[in-house]
Amino acid sequence: MTPLLATLATVFAITFLGAPLMGAGWFWDAGNGMGFAAFAGLLYLAITSNRRLDVRAHQVLAYAVLLLVVAHAFWFLLGDATAVEFIKIGAPDYMWLGVIALLLFGILIVSADVPERLRLHKDYAGFRYWHRVLTVVVILAAAYHIVGSNFYLGTWYQATLFALMSVAVCLGRDYWIRLGEINIVSPVRFLVLSSGLAIAFAAIRNWPA
Amino acid sequence: MKYFLLATLAAAVSVMLFGSPIAREKPLRDHYYESPEPILPMSFAHEDHVSENCILCHHNYVDDTGGGPCMNCHTTNQDVWPLFEQQYHELCRGCHEEKAALGIDGGPPRQCIECHRGDDLP
Repeated sequence: MTPLLATLATVFAITFLGAPLMGAGWFWDAGNGMGFAAFAGLLYLAITSNRRLDVRAHQVLAYAVLLLVVAHAFWFLLGDATAVEFIKIGAPDYMWLGVIALLLFGILIVSADVPERLRLHKDYAGFRYWHRVLTVVVILAAAYHIVGSNFYLGTWYQATLFALMSVAVCLGRDYWIRLGEINIVSPVRFLVLSSGLAIAFAAIRNWPA
Repeated sequence: MKYFLLATLAAAVSVMLFGSPIAREKPLRDHYYESPEPILPMSFAHEDHVSENCILCHHNYVDDTGGGPCMNCHTTNQDVWPLFEQQYHELCRGCHEEKAALGIDGGPPRQCIECHRGDDLP
């Protein structure tokens, strides 16, 4: 539980370093709170992927994170009829990177499932290599989506910290594997915690002064 | 899992083609203000912005570029038209965000539809 709490706390803490009380309304902030929680879940999945990984728990939690990513996207698409314009041709690059990150995350999960994994990779080492490469691409694309949208990370130091955190997770594998065995949290626990944080994120920014 | 992903993709494509089935207001792209390509409708209430310095938006008052309603140039001038969306987002949203960050009442824009609901621009 502690690594997940640390990851969630770090992601959300960075968003509050600049203008902690600046909100964009309950609807917008709650949707983005879900997005931040999902990103933290993605980092947690990468951090906890060490040699003694409980593959099934990792896989099931990845489904939950994907569910949250999809909820984040559809929250806006369904709740605001104009939001869809932001993922059409001519949309900013950071929005395209968000869509690409979501699609690649889906591919990352499906391609790790049997029998797809066996069809795509001759051996387990090859699978692990490409799974890690794709993970790095997904994390960096999602980080670009978040930093580029430039609302909650409006200052240079927030953007830098967020980028450094993302790169550290991608490059810090030698350190993460030394953490030893970590009991991966259940998807229900992750989703409850994430929902609570998304609501708190929106509440702090929108509570009447 | 792959069926869930396929269903998600299908739902996303459906929303892109037909719009949200639950959102109450749906903006309609059209050639507003004689724009060369269909654009979203926009709202702006002058009376809500009277406390602002006019030249924040009406740059032509001081730099002698263009005249008349904003859209005269911004949708027809080939130099500025490609920057239309970016410039208006930066101007409107940027100003609201700046104020909100300073704790000044006037708040940032809310949902996209709050600005794109199609009232008349002056």
